[in-house]
Amino acid sequence: MAELLKEQEETQKWGMVIDMDICSGCQACVTACSMENNVPFVGEDEMAYGRGLQWMRIRRYWEGEYPEVTPTHQPMLCQQCGSAPCEPVCPTFASVHSQEEQINVQVYNRCIGTRYCANNCPFSARVFNWFDYETPAPMNSYLNPDVSVRRRGIMEKCTFCVQRIVHGRQQAAAEGREVEDGDIVPACAQACPTDAIVFGDLSDPESKVSKMSRSDRAFKELEELGTQPKVIYLKGGKSYGG
Amino acid sequence: MSNKISRRDFLKISGIGVTAAAVLTGCGPASRYVVRQSYVDMPEYNQTGKSTYYATTCQECPAGCGLIVRTQEGRAIKVEGNPNHPVNQGKVCSRGLTSVQGLYNPDRIGGPLQRTRGDRSSQPLTWEEAVSTVQNGLSNPEKTAFLLGLMPDHLFDLVTEFSETTGAAAPVRYSALGTLEGRATLLAASKKMYGTDQFPYFDLSAADVVFNFGADYLETWLSPLAYSRGYRKMRKQEFGKRGYIVAFGARQSLTASNADEWIPVTPGSEGLVALAIGQITARLKGQTIPALFAGVNLQAAADAAGISLQKLQQLGQLFANAENSLAIPGGAALTTSVGYETAQAVLGLNILADNLGKPGGVFLAPGTTSTASMEAVKTLIQRCLDGEVDTLFIHGCNPIFELPDKLGFEKALEKVKTIISFAPFEDETALVSDFVFPDHTGLESFGYQRLLAGTDRSTYSSIQPVVQPVHNTKSTVDVLLAAAAAIPALSANLNYTDEVDFIQQKISSLIQAGGFFTASEMPTFWSKWLQFGGWWKNAANFGTPRDATKLDLELNMNTPQKVTEGEEFHLVTFSTQMGDGRGANRPWLQETPDPQTTVTWNSWIEMHPATAEHLGIMDDDIVEITPIGGTNTIEAIVYLYPAIRPDTVAIPFGQGHTALGRWAEGRGVNPAKLWSETTNQAGELTISDTLVTITPTGRRRPLARQESRVGVYGDGEH
Repeated sequence: MAELLKEQEETQKWGMVIDMDICSGCQACVTACSMENNVPFVGEDEMAYGRGLQWMRIRRYWEGEYPEVTPTHQPMLCQQCGSAPCEPVCPTFASVHSQEEQINVQVYNRCIGTRYCANNCPFSARVFNWFDYETPAPMNSYLNPDVSVRRRGIMEKCTFCVQRIVHGRQQAAAEGREVEDGDIVPACAQACPTDAIVFGDLSDPESKVSKMSRSDRAFKELEELGTQPKVIYLKGGKSYGG
Repeated sequence: MSNKISRRDFLKISGIGVTAAAVLTGCGPASRYVVRQSYVDMPEYNQTGKSTYYATTCQECPAGCGLIVRTQEGRAIKVEGNPNHPVNQGKVCSRGLTSVQGLYNPDRIGGPLQRTRGDRSSQPLTWEEAVSTVQNGLSNPEKTAFLLGLMPDHLFDLVTEFSETTGAAAPVRYSALGTLEGRATLLAASKKMYGTDQFPYFDLSAADVVFNFGADYLETWLSPLAYSRGYRKMRKQEFGKRGYIVAFGARQSLTASNADEWIPVTPGSEGLVALAIGQITARLKGQTIPALFAGVNLQAAADAAGISLQKLQQLGQLFANAENSLAIPGGAALTTSVGYETAQAVLGLNILADNLGKPGGVFLAPGTTSTASMEAVKTLIQRCLDGEVDTLFIHGCNPIFELPDKLGFEKALEKVKTIISFAPFEDETALVSDFVFPDHTGLESFGYQRLLAGTDRSTYSSIQPVVQPVHNTKSTVDVLLAAAAAIPALSANLNYTDEVDFIQQKISSLIQAGGFFTASEMPTFWSKWLQFGGWWKNAANFGTPRDATKLDLELNMNTPQKVTEGEEFHLVTFSTQMGDGRGANRPWLQETPDPQTTVTWNSWIEMHPATAEHLGIMDDDIVEITPIGGTNTIEAIVYLYPAIRPDTVAIPFGQGHTALGRWAEGRGVNPAKLWSETTNQAGELTISDTLVTITPTGRRRPLARQESRVGVYGDGEH
């Protein structure tokens, strides 16, 4: 089991493909993420101040003029950059690269809240706990025991549901087999009503994400910055093919 | 489960272990109730640190999606979709995801209460007293009435049986969501055109061209997850075919913005447009123009809709030339005075397109339905006013919030001697009740949902508790059965020991009905029923609609109401993730941004920027909205919405609660205050006929929107 785990550590490169041609913008991923990851709700005033803690947000941009006006909906989350701008600026190594999962992780108990990482993130994917937010009893009963509850002064962001990655790897290792494509599904992809979000191992050329990432429609957000995002979007909407 | 079979093997045998989610419950007939125990003494299947998954059915809307709920140490942690369920196939929407926030809501009612009407104070009762109160009501069946929501179905079945046994009035079912969807109109039109009481199922998956007249099928309409799946398949057809969707409607909904083309037609003109498209299609196909489409004048239809004749011709060509054309009626197009005719015209387009029972066409979802029209609600109100109702039972419905004020429901309640609410939350209706006997929430209940608009096969979706009840609540079915047991006339006919016995007797016929599993006796069948989350057929058994009219009918399609430009506006009410309003006390539904506006925690009124400029209104201004011919006014915050007709304004439904707990109360506005009480030919409220005037109040309040912080910090204007 230990060897299998070790082997996985060295090879797996988790990535996500979001097909914007079928993403309807329904926000199910946003709610799913929040319920899975113990993301606190902040209330109306804090939302108005832009202090919402959604790890995932749907960017909605209007295009065109009435009556040909239409929005594009693009899910935006931590892009798990291979060369992440948030990492070198952290004075406490709270924002670090995980060798095991090849993703960018946030170590909550190292974070001292300088917010340098958020300033440096070109995707505005990081959110900050400005206060302690109450989840009044008995509502705290649904909190996910696999995910830390964060306190005031902590930066947080999408983790690619790292608890599910760990669980999937352990499960496969315990059964003496490799992790199969589709074994590990983050909460957003699991909920997505149109299956627009696909998750998997980019190092495996046969995985679904790898195949999709080779699509003609594939692009990375702000690719020119060279951050090597591991979230790949497939061009879509009404501009698809045009 | 034998010791030799590991958990994983067991799951493989049962064919569910293919996904991350696993179902483990239903190990035997003894596991009727889930027990929340201390960490040191967990039941065998509930190992500390290991999650246990239960299959149940979502109770947040009538679509009846299958859920797998992850529990740990007796707590419901996370809601996931049931991958095997025919409705949602493993997917789940925001409303289902937040159902644990309903279960663990701190504002739930902890036990049976006696109330003083209109007063917030209450006295606790015991369940014995509650049962005897219900018994008093039931013992006089002619003088009782039941008002139920659209779920759960097993309660509806029991109450129906009760009324059939005693001769009491049949239960009335109402939900504002049903009104916003145009359910009653769709069903009535389906009966007329397709000769059946069943819900039509529109198969997007193989359609080439879809004309959508107002159905918000990606948001809330009928079965959003089933339709989202259809939408995906439509976009991913073979050889890169991705279909072409045209959406008609005065306001661009999320569904319309995922269409390829949005045609902003005047509210109430959808039917004329459908008729015109039918006429053009028939002509292009070289057919004799059927009577249904013959009467419409193309130019007049284009003028009424506010589009050019050329555009209309072009759309007609598009519909006529496609291999698989599909037309869907729903939502705001049906809730007008010509809604019934509109639905018939649109369903007629499918007959013309010859797509009945063909891939990419119209099918019939299995199972007849029982949605009540507004006429039934009006009859109930009249009965109350006439003093014919001594005891009114209300379950799963919040009429004070969901019905138009003008209907006078609240006034009618004053004539009812005893009002018993079964609401788990202190909603607006519970506040004017004499007793509240709280039912469990969906995740603590037994039951089934059998009327599923998004399934391709006969399905009974099972509801089971995933945790022990959090409070001293009691299942309404159990309360009714306990009360009935003491009434000899009833107990002889309603011979059920408790809720589980009732459900088992109801589903016993399914054992031999050829589902994907069966068993030799009920206990085994029951454990599989719980384990799989219900019973359904192995293969699709869609019905095929028949052409009941041969399109040989003429419709009296009035032209839409005229508004004075810049002074009067059409009001569109649209549904959101709040559903019929019950979602407003789930903080994460409040904080999940509206997809189109990104607004959270409030309601807003959508207004075209040009209209706002004409009226001198800025973003975030508070305006007063007055219905023409009405006196009730409401105030709402303006959102400048580029995708709405300049002569139309739109308000979301679901906010504006005066009760329902800390997260719902005093937040936003309830557009039902403005609705008129008139109904169309199918007995549906004509809410989309509401015309309003807008007056600025001079006050402002920034909306909590995710898209922009401008305005809040005062550093710039839009």
